[in-house]
Amino acid sequence: MSALISREDWPLGVECAWPAVVAKAAKTAKTIPPLRESAHWSARWPVRWPARLLRLTAALALGAGLWQIGQGGYIQAKAWLSQALIGQAWARTLGGERHVKPWPWADTWPVARISVPDQGIERFVLAGANGRAIAFGPGHVFGTPLPGEDGNSVIGAHRDTHFAFLRALQPGAEIMVEKHDGGTRRYRVSGAEIVDKSEIRVLAQPSGETRLTLITCYPFDALRAGGPLRYVVTADAI
Amino acid sequence: MNTLAQGGSRQPLKPPASLFIELLAKVVLAFAIGLAAAIALAGVVLLLAHEARADQLTDLTPMKPAQAQQGTLLLKSADGTRAAPAVGTVAEINVSGIVARAVVRQTYRNPFDAWLEGIYVFPLPENAAVDHLRMKIGERVIEGDIRERQAARAQYEQARTSGQRAALVEQERPNMFTTSVANIPPHGEVVVEIEYQQTLKYDAGSFSLRFPMVVGPRYIPGAPVGNQGRGWSPDTDQVADASRITPPVRDPAKHGVANPVKLKITLDAGVPLARLDSPYHPIVTRESEGGGRVIELAAGETPANKDFELKWTPAAGHAPQAALFTETSGGKQYALLIVMPPMQAAAAARLPREVIFVIDTSGSMSGASIAQAKEALELAIARLGEQDRFNVVEFNSYAQALYDDARPANAANREQAVRWVRRLEAQGGTEMALALNLALNGHENPGRIRQVIFLTDGSVGNEDALFSLIESKLGDSRLFTVGIGSAPNSYFMSKAAQSGRGTFTYIGQIDEVKEKMGQLFAKLESPVLKGIEIAWPGGVEAWPKRVPDLYLGEPIVVSAALDAALTGEIRIAGWRGDARWQTLLPAADARNGKGLGVLWAREKIQSLIDSQRSQRDGAPEEAVREAVLDIALAHHLVSKYTSLVAVDKTPARPQDAALQSGAVPTNLPEGWEYGKVFGELPQGATDSLWNLFAGSLTLLLAIGLFVTARHTPAALKRG
Repeated sequence: MSALISREDWPLGVECAWPAVVAKAAKTAKTIPPLRESAHWSARWPVRWPARLLRLTAALALGAGLWQIGQGGYIQAKAWLSQALIGQAWARTLGGERHVKPWPWADTWPVARISVPDQGIERFVLAGANGRAIAFGPGHVFGTPLPGEDGNSVIGAHRDTHFAFLRALQPGAEIMVEKHDGGTRRYRVSGAEIVDKSEIRVLAQPSGETRLTLITCYPFDALRAGGPLRYVVTADAI
Repeated sequence: MNTLAQGGSRQPLKPPASLFIELLAKVVLAFAIGLAAAIALAGVVLLLAHEARADQLTDLTPMKPAQAQQGTLLLKSADGTRAAPAVGTVAEINVSGIVARAVVRQTYRNPFDAWLEGIYVFPLPENAAVDHLRMKIGERVIEGDIRERQAARAQYEQARTSGQRAALVEQERPNMFTTSVANIPPHGEVVVEIEYQQTLKYDAGSFSLRFPMVVGPRYIPGAPVGNQGRGWSPDTDQVADASRITPPVRDPAKHGVANPVKLKITLDAGVPLARLDSPYHPIVTRESEGGGRVIELAAGETPANKDFELKWTPAAGHAPQAALFTETSGGKQYALLIVMPPMQAAAAARLPREVIFVIDTSGSMSGASIAQAKEALELAIARLGEQDRFNVVEFNSYAQALYDDARPANAANREQAVRWVRRLEAQGGTEMALALNLALNGHENPGRIRQVIFLTDGSVGNEDALFSLIESKLGDSRLFTVGIGSAPNSYFMSKAAQSGRGTFTYIGQIDEVKEKMGQLFAKLESPVLKGIEIAWPGGVEAWPKRVPDLYLGEPIVVSAALDAALTGEIRIAGWRGDARWQTLLPAADARNGKGLGVLWAREKIQSLIDSQRSQRDGAPEEAVREAVLDIALAHHLVSKYTSLVAVDKTPARPQDAALQSGAVPTNLPEGWEYGKVFGELPQGATDSLWNLFAGSLTLLLAIGLFVTARHTPAALKRG
């Protein structure tokens, strides 16, 4: 083969599109004996690259695909496995401890347990409805009364993990709340609505009313996170 | 590829092109396979989803998502969408020595087809003496009159109903005012001019002029009781006028910024300057004809969303030590006295200190403010000495202290405190009383100095209740306020510090933290000038009645009304630690001042209002009201009990045309986060579904590519 194909003549190890190399190719062209037309371009041009490039792209796509699936799976796994640890922390909370962190580096702790007996649903509610907390469980919105207390207690969670069950929740369904002191309170679902995320009236505290407000994103099947709509379920204390 | 073809020899032109096309075709094919699979997959997902959604809608009836608010001038309020006029402000401020006189011109423009009433809540400096109102309609100028508050409102309402153009300026707080303008014609405008006078802050050798531009959204504690105004908050049992002090706020992300302000400051400092700067707005400066300087905004105008500050420092050797101004007006003599006690370095031996830091972690602090507060707090904790004790209190909807009781400021505790502070997050309400109750215990202990350093933006509506709380629980503690952020509540900062017998400072940007905290540390660590007495040669009525204790770098500023022309000397004396300090000021040194009567009246009104709050000898409200009315009406001043009103005699609006009324929306202060102030719904979705979907798609693509690669002709694989 010609000198051009040898590795040393591709100073950057890049086998395409490098003008400097082409310039060199032009200069050295005189010393190369003329080749047959058919072999000409396949020899001069690195013909290995289409197949290689395809395989390389395929490998990259494979990697990216696995990474994405891993990422998606990790989010789900994290959400469900952590509930077990939070459950243990809740047991200790019921035993009288305060602010029990489910794992040593956690910056949140369980504040209540909610359950929907009809659906066999049980969730441990964490302090704070910020992104860090609700990756692991439903989060209690700071500044609203704790679930089970008087007033409008607001809880947020992801529509594709802990609050996926909200879409099947019907009016009249009963929700049970267990407080940190072991006391319980029952609520009945009164309705649901879809609101824009700016509708902060759902966080309001109407005097004399005790309810749970469960918030998740809407629509339930949207592929991406970050939409402007929220699905809000309201349950009044019985 | 093109570059390559041109730059290369002539021979290989055609082959790479065809190769390229072939490759492209393969990639397109692979993508097409992937895309088809994706569409099929998405179809399945959507099909399933649709079924589920239909199922879910059978029993629950979701309401329609609220339409995003559109347009810049329409804002939703409790009773529907309302139109409000656009407001542009031009402020011209003349500074002469330590006194500033300002004309604030607000132009209310009606872009609608209907007749409009506009209501605009805006801030002024907390010591502004507002004494003039002019309404301009085209070429005509209508002078405003000072009236008792209810009478002024009645006159305005009357004019409003009968179609006359009218303007009303009312005081909500010493640093917050409301202008109401009635009957702005369709596509027309009304100009309202307000004038005020103030003394400037002179501290540590520098003068500063603050021109606030926006009232930050205030936290309103208490239970709702009704609605008298148009604010976003109802009145509550703790803030009776909440609906008047909470103008609608534009979400900058949705509506952008509005309410442009232009500034022109004519500065006649009277001495050569070493330094002149504006930390928050770029400015341009030029010489004026009178030998002073004219300062304007470099950008021409700025949205009203943060305080403007101008600071200047006299050149070395020109710092004023004492100044006396006198003026005769209305048959009376007035004087303004400024004395700078000599600066004294920190005492060598100092008492151990107990320092309680209080940091506001409410939603309004979110963003730039909390970063400034944390940095300032870390600096202050690092500054503590081994013999000092300290504690840290944070508050939002709740208040909590780092330790049950103050602990020694050893390295371990300091480090623990810094770690605790770094983890704090700004969210929720501003229940300041909870924090003050934790920080102030009313105890007295002569063996140590107890200092409370309070970092906050002061965005609360219940200021008066808090001042009373501070006074009643202060004991021998001293309270120092540090105003944080782009639009701190200056009335809260200065009055809380006064009630707490401390002093206040402002931090508006992260790069000011070091300098401003340094000045505060110097004050905290230097002996205070106490027991200040001023002996005037003749009969005077001087305000404030008792000069407060002064910290390092602070001057004595007293306004006086004199019974007779000033002769002889004024003797000023006080104690710094055990050392007596005294100075004499000959009356002959007095220079002529302007508007001193207004400053004196403003100072007296503030002192009268303050006297009502004092727990032990609180004056009855009715007596205070009478006294304030007298002085405010005599000096043409807006106050808690008096308003300025201007009415055009000629009716403008035909009786059959309706009048719409709207509150002018204000900007969110720069650096604040809308969702953190007004609350936000949790974000309830992950990208896991997307990850799985995108991952599957990419895997399909990978398979397609592998298959394609395998079927590449052998001729292409090997040359």
